[in-house]
Amino acid sequence: MPTTMIQDMDDLVRAAINEVFDTMLNLKLEAEPPGTELLNGEAHIASSVGFIGRLTGIVYIYSTASFARTITATLIGLEESDIDGEEMVNDAMGEVANMIVGNVKSRLSDRGMPCVLTIPSIVRGSHFTIEAVSSTERRVVSFKCLKANQQIVIEILIKLEKSNN
Amino acid sequence: MGPKILTVDDSKTIRLIIAKAFKSFDCEVLEASNGVEGLAIASKEKPDIIILDLTMPIMDGYETLTKLKSDPELKGIPVIMLTAEAGRENVLRIAKQGVRDYLVKPFKEDVIIDRVGRVIDLKPKGSTPIKAKRFDDPLTILVVDDKPAICEQIRAGITDTPWTVIGRAQSGEAVDFCSQTLPDVILISLSLPDGAGFTLFQMLRASAKTKSVPVFGLCVKTTVDEQTRAQQMGFNGVVTKPMDMDDLKAKVARSLSLDTSYKYFQQKNGVLLVTLPSTFGTNVANEVTTHLRAKLSEAVDAGLDKVIFDLSALKTADITLIKLGLDFMTLCDELSLKQRMIGSSVVSQECKKYEETKDWSFVSTFNEAQAVLCGKELIAA
Repeated sequence: MPTTMIQDMDDLVRAAINEVFDTMLNLKLEAEPPGTELLNGEAHIASSVGFIGRLTGIVYIYSTASFARTITATLIGLEESDIDGEEMVNDAMGEVANMIVGNVKSRLSDRGMPCVLTIPSIVRGSHFTIEAVSSTERRVVSFKCLKANQQIVIEILIKLEKSNN
Repeated sequence: MGPKILTVDDSKTIRLIIAKAFKSFDCEVLEASNGVEGLAIASKEKPDIIILDLTMPIMDGYETLTKLKSDPELKGIPVIMLTAEAGRENVLRIAKQGVRDYLVKPFKEDVIIDRVGRVIDLKPKGSTPIKAKRFDDPLTILVVDDKPAICEQIRAGITDTPWTVIGRAQSGEAVDFCSQTLPDVILISLSLPDGAGFTLFQMLRASAKTKSVPVFGLCVKTTVDEQTRAQQMGFNGVVTKPMDMDDLKAKVARSLSLDTSYKYFQQKNGVLLVTLPSTFGTNVANEVTTHLRAKLSEAVDAGLDKVIFDLSALKTADITLIKLGLDFMTLCDELSLKQRMIGSSVVSQECKKYEETKDWSFVSTFNEAQAVLCGKELIAA
C-alpha cells in the first residue's frame, strides 16, 4: 500500500472526526502525539463502521463509557441522568462512527475509490484491544478533548485490494 | 396545529436530534425508523415535509423516495434527503431523484431548521402568546450598531420598562446571538459598513428562526435613501436618530402587539376609569384608541355602566386629544355608557373654543365625577 495513501487516510479521518465533533457537539479536539493509545482500566466503548471497496477496512472510535454518555447527552439534548440505558448510547456512538466514516467514504469516492459502508457496531468492555491480522495496516490517531478532559482514539485497519495499477 | 415534519431514519439518535431541533417551533415531528414505516406514516398523516435518511435497513431512502414519487397522494410532499455520504456521485444520484434539498451529516441544528424553513412555514412556539404579552413584561431587544453610545442611549431610555438591551457591533455577532437566544425585537443600524445592516436583515428574514422577529432600521433622519431602501426591503419600520424613546417604545409595543391597556384602563369603585398620562401625544392616543372599543365593551359585558375619562394630567387640549375625546363620546353613546370627564380649567377652556367640543363639561376629581354619574348634584367645571 502506498505510504501516501496511508497518510491520506490518517488525514481524512482526522478531518472527519474534527468536523463531526465540532458540528454536532461543539467540541474541539486536539491531536495527541503519535503512539498515544486509550488507557485501559476504565470501561470503554468502541464504535465501528467498516468500508468495503477498492480500499477495504474498518474504523474504530474508542472513548470511555462516561465520555460516550456525555457525547450522547450533548447530541440529543438531554441531561446525562436522563439517558435511558446503554441502547441510547450505543445508537448515538454508532451514529457518530457512521458520520465520521461516511465523511471519509465521500472523500475516497471523490478520489476514485468508491466503497460501501457496513452497519455500525459497538464493543463495550475494559482491558480489551482489537488486533489486526498481519496483512492489514493498523493506524492509530488519538485526540484530546480539552473541554471535557477526555480522550478519543481512532483505530483504522485498512487493506488495499490487490489491483493491477 | 403547525406543520407536520416526518423524519425517517434508522438512527434513533438522528430522529431525536431532529425532534430537538424543531422543539422550539410550532410543528409536530413524526418519526419512522425505515422506509416502510415512513410510507405508512406519510399515507396516514400527510406530513408537510419528509426528512429522509439515505441508508436504512428494510427499505432505503432511494426506494422510499421512488415509492413516494409514484404515489399520486404523496408525490407532492417535499423531501429533504439526509446522508452521511457527500461524494459527488452520491449527490448527483440524490439530485436526480427529485428531492427538494439534501443535507450531509454532520449538520448543525440551525442548518436543518433553515433548510426546512425554506420549504414550509415554521413559526416559533409561543408566537401567538407573544401577542398577549404586556408592555411591562420582560423583552430582549438586540441592537446591532457599531456605535456603543446608541446602545447605551436605548438602555437609558427604557429604564421604565423591564426590557433588556443586548448590543452587538457586527452582523456576525448578531447572527451568533440569534442562534443562541431569540430576541423579541431587533434594531439594526442601516449605516453599518458595506450595507451590512441590509444583508443582516435578509439573513434574518431567510432564517426560519428569526423570520417573524420584528426588525427596525436605525438611521439618521436625513438619510432618506437608506430609509426608503429599508421600507422597500420589508423592515418593520425605521427609528431615526436622535431617537425619541417614547416613539421607539410605541413601535416595539405595536410590532409585538403588546398589551398596553393596563396603563390607561382600570376599574375603580365600580366605574371604568380611562386615564391619559401627562406624556399624552400621538403614540398614546393610538394606543388608547386601539384598546378603547374593546375595553368599553368589556366593561359593559362585566356589568359596568359608567366610565370616567381622566384628562387631569394634561396641560392643554390639542386636535389629537379632541379626536380621541370624540371617539370616546361616540362609543359611550353606542354602548349606552354614562360618562364624565375630569380635566383642568385650562383644558376645559380650550375645549370651549371648538365647535365639536364646546359643550364638553369637566369635573375636577374622580369623586366628583363619580357623584355626578351616580345621580348626585352636578358640580360644574
